[in-house]
Amino acid sequence: MAGLVPLLSLQDITKRYPGVVALDRVGLEVEAGSVHALVGENGAGKSTLLRILAGAESPDAGRLMWDGVASMPASPRVALEMGITVIYQELALVPQLSAAANVFLGMERGRGWRLDDRAMADEAGAAMRTLGLDVDPATPVFRLSIAQRQLVELARALTRNARLIALDEPTATLTSTEVDHLFAQVRAMTTAGAGIVFVSHRLDEVRAVADRITVLRDGQAVWTGAAGEVDHDRLIELMVGRRVEYVRLPGTRQPDAAAVLEVRGLSRPPRFRDVSFSVRRGEIVALAGLVGAGRSEVARCLAGADRWDAGEARLGGEPYRPRNPREAVASRIVYLPEDRKRDGLIMGFPVRANITLPVLKRFARWGRVDGRAERTAAQASADAVHLRPPDTARTTGTLSGGNQQKVVLAKWLLADADVLIFDEPTRGVDVGAKVELHQQIRALADAGKAVLMISSELPEVLALADRIIVMREGRVTGELPGEGVAAEAVMALAVGP
Amino acid sequence: MRTWVSRYGVGIALVALVLLAAIGVPGFFSRDNLTTVLLHVSINAILALGMTFVIVTAGIDLSVGSVLALAGVLTAATLTNGSLLGAIGVAGTVVVAMAIGLGTGVAAGMVNGAVIARFGVAPFMVTLAAMTIARGAARLFTGGVPIGFPGTGDPAFDAKVAALDALNVLGGGRIPVPGLPRGFPVPAVIMLLLAVAAVFVLTRTRFGRYVYAVGGNEEAARLAGVPVGAVKLGVYAIAGGCAGLAGVLLVGQLRSGGPDAGALYELNAIAAAVIGGASLFGGVGTAAGALIGALIIGVLNNALDLLGVQSFWQEIVKGTIILLAVLFDVWTKRGSVRTP
Repeated sequence: MAGLVPLLSLQDITKRYPGVVALDRVGLEVEAGSVHALVGENGAGKSTLLRILAGAESPDAGRLMWDGVASMPASPRVALEMGITVIYQELALVPQLSAAANVFLGMERGRGWRLDDRAMADEAGAAMRTLGLDVDPATPVFRLSIAQRQLVELARALTRNARLIALDEPTATLTSTEVDHLFAQVRAMTTAGAGIVFVSHRLDEVRAVADRITVLRDGQAVWTGAAGEVDHDRLIELMVGRRVEYVRLPGTRQPDAAAVLEVRGLSRPPRFRDVSFSVRRGEIVALAGLVGAGRSEVARCLAGADRWDAGEARLGGEPYRPRNPREAVASRIVYLPEDRKRDGLIMGFPVRANITLPVLKRFARWGRVDGRAERTAAQASADAVHLRPPDTARTTGTLSGGNQQKVVLAKWLLADADVLIFDEPTRGVDVGAKVELHQQIRALADAGKAVLMISSELPEVLALADRIIVMREGRVTGELPGEGVAAEAVMALAVGP
Repeated sequence: MRTWVSRYGVGIALVALVLLAAIGVPGFFSRDNLTTVLLHVSINAILALGMTFVIVTAGIDLSVGSVLALAGVLTAATLTNGSLLGAIGVAGTVVVAMAIGLGTGVAAGMVNGAVIARFGVAPFMVTLAAMTIARGAARLFTGGVPIGFPGTGDPAFDAKVAALDALNVLGGGRIPVPGLPRGFPVPAVIMLLLAVAAVFVLTRTRFGRYVYAVGGNEEAARLAGVPVGAVKLGVYAIAGGCAGLAGVLLVGQLRSGGPDAGALYELNAIAAAVIGGASLFGGVGTAAGALIGALIIGVLNNALDLLGVQSFWQEIVKGTIILLAVLFDVWTKRGSVRTP
């Protein structure tokens, strides 16, 4: 314990976004010379808290005490001047500029108008060498590896004399030697008196490097204490907690004996390696895990959006290797992406046009679309998924998130797909609409479709899945039955030792 | 190899083009003709230098041609204002007229920049609107006819002609140089000075560094404390100022300011910047490249003129060069600047 007042003290920080409370009266204290870890599931509010710390967002309520004085940073510039540096996971560097220019970005050394490039290169080079990064400071950042870029950001914090450095999942993309190196640097910085906020999913690392730990869950700080006070299982329990549960929706149709889609040893390094699983008609298989575990990447390969490097897939017993999404759709495998606005729907189209887009050929004769046949088919499909309002002439963008997702469902229902791959099917829709979407997804399985569902929301997985495949860092770490499994068991496989 | 080619490729292309023209085009490689090329290039090069600042921030300025016209007609009107000439004399009036021309450009650019930075509207749309408004204002102000040489019987005839002649030194004058029978054109000197200044600002100053940072990764720049809005305001003010300067020079050259001057000049300026290596995605581009890009276009036009090639063919050639430059840009970037 350093002084009487902590370096940083966040009090009752609240942040609301339309429809969600991202942070609910969160408190956090960081002593100078110590490492404070922040853990929690995806969407627990860690990133929002860091953005507030960095001055990139302002909270709706709450106080930030810096050396015991209330001072909420109004902009990134103010936060930096106070001595707070946040290192984001998607690193905030300008790729075309040199390492030295990035280190000094926003606080260039110069004489009057002129930049003093030599002084900046010397000083940046010295800071980089201190951190064990031995590259020419004139190297453009796009030529550096991710680990090297991270050290450039740390060098930036060093040259700014930052007193508090927050790292958002710094180890997610590093090899273990790189992680060891990073931690050695972090320890050196705390010895020099800096406070560190450390966000990570890797609980072993957290307990190894942190002095204190705060667990965030659904926007609330549910636990704070010394790292030595908790073990691995207790941390998982705190992260998962008790939450909104959905009624489990078991299937009414016995799954086929044989798999329709079978994946063996699929690899696309460094995204995922040696992934094997199978899906049968009539069942819902969930791919569980944390964001970045490689689940979406697997799905994109199966949907023909990316290619895999090794391994094989079989569809109905035949070898399956789509070269593009068109081939995947022709093979009756469809992918319903997470970001509907970007990949899934054309928002300016009427609902009808979105529903019939993949199968427009059916309604066309010599290139002319038979409007009546198209409308009838689209309407039938929209009714089947209970679209509200059941008006297929409406502009898709004016529908709620849940109804937009139903349009996606209606689209692939009409396309008569065999295998449906959902990526976060209920993200961004409210609880009522979620339950309804769950029912629709179950109905698809009961109608004989094979469903593969990626979801980071554990209750959703537990409500729907017949089998659960858990992935971590690009590998399958286990398979669990969907019935009667505990959330903690899934989480333990997702976060690892 | 690719880095080397992408850094010096445009310069090499210009040298090769000049050598080719020197061998194959009679009359091209004379001192007289080469200085003429520089004179013809100067207006486009000045616009391209300003445009480069904007393009490096991942923006675009479609209004420079129209702003050039508006600045020009205001300059010409001030220059031939009888009462002003009577009050402060020819020299004073010329200075005021130049200041008005330049100020019009800077002001128009600042309005563009302010709307883009403050409201986050797409630069394409904001400057398209500015382009239309400035052109309309120029036509409204002049009633559609050029302002310039006074009619005979004008009471201030002599003073107006003297003022126009004074500005003509800037826009059409020649500096005597030994060995050049017709001297070196003044606009080309201004172009070269401006290019040196632009290179200095982009490579040696904090503002220049910020221009690249905003274009390379706007969010990273913002998080590093870079005043992103002020940088955007600055680059559009520079592009507008260059348009104002070009308008003043054109009035000097032609001894009149017309409301239809500068039509499509914005596209030539964009072409020069892009041929010179600027990327419309931002973060990449140099002032020297913009100058070289303008010179490539100028040399091509001149050589094809001397060969007696129809101007329609010249357009096709210019378009092809732009396409090649962009394809070249894609080729040099392959495998390097891709996001990890």
